[in-house]
Amino acid sequence: MNIAFRPFEEKKANKLDSTRIAGKLVNDYWEMVWRAKDEGKLVCWYEGSAINPFLEAADICWVHGEAYSAMLAARHQEGTAQRVAEERGYLRELCSYARTHLGCAVSNQRLRGDNAGAAPDEDDLTWKLPAPDMIISAYAYCSTGQQWDEMTSRVFGKKVPIFNVSIPWIWGAKPDAGYLRGEEWEETSDYVARQLRDMVKFIEERTGKPYPWDRLYALMADIRRASELRLEAMELCTAQPAPASFFDWVVSIAPINNLPVPGVKQYFETVLEEVKQRVRDGEGTVPDEKYRLFFDGIMNWNKVGWLANKFARWDAAVVAGRYTHMAFWQEPGLIDPNDPVRGMAQNYLICPNNHAAPILIELIMGLCRKFKVDGMVIHASRTCRAFTNPQFMIAEAAHKRLGIPTSMFEGDVTDESFYKDELLNSRVEAMLEAIEARRMVAA
Amino acid sequence: MKQHVMGVDFGSTTAKTVILNLAGNIVAHSVAHMGAVSGNGVKHSMKEALDLAGLAQSDIGRTVSTGYGRRMLDEADRNYTEITCHARGAVAMVPDARLVIDIGGQDSKVISVDSNGLVAQFAMNDRCAAGTGKFLEVLARAMEIELEEMGAVALQAAQKLKISSMCATFAETEVISLLAEGHSKPDVLGAVHKAIATRTLGLVGRVGKKGPVVMTGGVARNPAAVHYIQEELQMPLVLPQSPQIAGALGAALIGLDDYRAENRHLLISDQEDMAHEEQMAADKACIPGCRGVPEFAVDPREKQPVAGKAKAHASTESHA
Repeated sequence: MNIAFRPFEEKKANKLDSTRIAGKLVNDYWEMVWRAKDEGKLVCWYEGSAINPFLEAADICWVHGEAYSAMLAARHQEGTAQRVAEERGYLRELCSYARTHLGCAVSNQRLRGDNAGAAPDEDDLTWKLPAPDMIISAYAYCSTGQQWDEMTSRVFGKKVPIFNVSIPWIWGAKPDAGYLRGEEWEETSDYVARQLRDMVKFIEERTGKPYPWDRLYALMADIRRASELRLEAMELCTAQPAPASFFDWVVSIAPINNLPVPGVKQYFETVLEEVKQRVRDGEGTVPDEKYRLFFDGIMNWNKVGWLANKFARWDAAVVAGRYTHMAFWQEPGLIDPNDPVRGMAQNYLICPNNHAAPILIELIMGLCRKFKVDGMVIHASRTCRAFTNPQFMIAEAAHKRLGIPTSMFEGDVTDESFYKDELLNSRVEAMLEAIEARRMVAA
Repeated sequence: MKQHVMGVDFGSTTAKTVILNLAGNIVAHSVAHMGAVSGNGVKHSMKEALDLAGLAQSDIGRTVSTGYGRRMLDEADRNYTEITCHARGAVAMVPDARLVIDIGGQDSKVISVDSNGLVAQFAMNDRCAAGTGKFLEVLARAMEIELEEMGAVALQAAQKLKISSMCATFAETEVISLLAEGHSKPDVLGAVHKAIATRTLGLVGRVGKKGPVVMTGGVARNPAAVHYIQEELQMPLVLPQSPQIAGALGAALIGLDDYRAENRHLLISDQEDMAHEEQMAADKACIPGCRGVPEFAVDPREKQPVAGKAKAHASTESHA
C-alpha cells in the first residue's frame, strides 16, 4: 500500500491573449505614478469609486488605494506593506486593501518623509507611492472606506486637504423603487452629482486653474465606448463553450477602472475581437467545458491565475461574477458625453454592494439565468465584509429560485493567509459532484 | 467478476473502511486512529476490514476514497468529497433522512438531501476547528478528562454557563478561567457542548431546517453533543448504529454503483436468467445439463472451477 499525493490532471485555463496588453498598461501606469513628483504633478489619493477621470482631465496624478494593493498582491509583494501596517497598529482583520495601502503610506513617510537618510530599496514597491497632495474620499457601500481615508490622513500628519463625497446606500424601500428607477434613485443621483460639481471646485482650488471640462467630456466619451465594448465581449460568453472567463474580466478591471483613458478603448476593441474569433472557432476558456459557474465575491488578487487554472482542471468555466459584471462603468448608457457628471454619479451609486438585497439578488439571479450557470461558487472575503454580508441570502436565492447548488470558501482580497486550499477543493468538488449526480438522475 | 467493493474515509483524526458485497450489505468495517502523514491509520483500517471479511485487496472490485486524504490512496480507483459520500452513506443508513449533521475530527458539516438522496445544499465550518471533534479533543485535554467520558459528565451539568469563543485555543483559556472561578467540571463541560450545538445550528440555518435529521461522525457517539444539538434544533436526531462509518459507507456505495454499471453484462438478475432459461426451453435449444447454472462468472478465489460451471461454459461456448 502506498500513500502518496496524487495531483490533479494538468490542465490550464485558456486565457485571452489580449489581456496581456493589460499587464503592460498597468506597468506603464504605475511607472508614471512613481515619477509623478519628479515631473511636478499634484498627486491625489482616493479609494473606492472611479473618480479618476475627473483627476486625469485636470492633469493630477491619481492613486487608487485598492488598485495599488491589488497590484502588490498580484506580484506577491504585499507582505512588507502588511507587516509595516501591523507594526503601526492596524488590525489584521482591517480590510487588507486598506492595511496594505496604509503600510505603503507609512513606508513612504519613513523613507521619503520624516526619516530622512534611510536608504530605500528600489525593488521594494512598498515605499514608492508618491505622498498625496490631496485626498478625495468618495466611497459607496463601505464604512471602512472613509475610516481608511482618515487613517491615511493621520499617517501624513493631518496636513493633506480632504474632500468628502457622500454616496448614499440605495435602500430600495419606496414603492416605486427598482434598479435605475424610482424617486430615491433620482434624488440620490442629483445628490451625488451636486457633490461631484463641488469636488471639481475643490480640484480647481488645488490646481489654481479653471477646470478643463472639455477634457473630461472627451475622456468620458472614450470610457463609455470602452465600457460598451467590454460588455459586448462579456455578453458573448453566453456561448457554449464560453470564450472567456470571469478571470479574464478580473484582469481587465484595471483598464476600465483606473488606468489612463487613452489606450483603454483600443484595449477593449482588441479583447472583443479575440472573443468574437473564439466564438467563431468554438474555442473555450477551459479546455473541456463541463460545468458553468457564477463567481460571487471579490477577487483573491494573490491567486488570479492560480484560481483560473484550478477551475480549468475541474472543467469548470466561471462565466460571470458579481465583481466583474456588476461594476466598473457597467451602465455606459447613463453617461452623456456632453454632460457626463450625473451619469458618473449614477455609475458610482450602482457599485455591486450599494443596493438593498432585493435589487442586488435579482440582478445576480438575472446574470445566472443569462449565462446558464450550473452552480455558484462564493468567495467570502475575510476582510471585506461589505461584499460578504449578503452572501448567505444570495446562496439561498440561487438554491430556491434557480435550483442550483452553491459552494462557499473563505479567502481574502490581498491577504492570502486567510485562504486554505483544501477547503476550496472540498467545497467546490462537492458542488460539482452534486451537479453531476443531478445530471445522472435527469438522464 | 469480483464480489466485493470497498469505501475508505481517509479523515484527519480517524480512518474508516467499509467492505460491501455486491448486494450492498456490509461485510466488514473498521475504524482506526489516523496518522495523516504516515498513513498508518488508513493502512491499519483497510487491513483490519479485509481480515474481518477474510479477503485480500485483490478480491476488491472497486475502491473509492473520501475525506481529506482521498487523493493520497493508491488503492483508490476514484475519489469523492466527504459531502457526497456522507450524504450517500447517511441516507443509506436512514432512508428518509432530509438533513445530515456530520461532526468529524476536523470539520463539521450540514447537508440537506433531496427526495432522491442527492445533495441539495451544504454548509461547513469555514475556519479553524470551530465546532468539531478537534475542539472537544483540545478541551478534554485541558480539563484532564478522557474524550470518551466527556459526554456523560457534561450531561450532569446543573448550572448554565457560557463559552463564547469557538476558537479551540481561546475556549481553552475560557474553560480554565471558569474552573479557576470554582465552577464544576460538569457545568463547564455542559457549556463546551452547548457551544458546539450553537455553532451547528448556525450551519443548519444556512441550508434550511428540515427533518428527519440524521447525525453522523464520531461526535454522534457523544451523548451530550446529541442532547444539546437536539435542544437547540428542537428536533430529534436519528442516530445510526455506526455513525462514524457513514462516509466510508457512502464511498463504498458509490463504488458499488460504478462497479455494477461497468459489469452490467455479467450481473444477470434471477428474473432475466429465468426468462433466458424459459426462452431456451421454448426454443428447445438447450442441451441437457445446462439448466440451473445461475451465472457464467467464475469466482476468482476458486483455483479450480467447479465441474458444473466449467461444463456450463463449455456448453455455452459450444452452443455459441
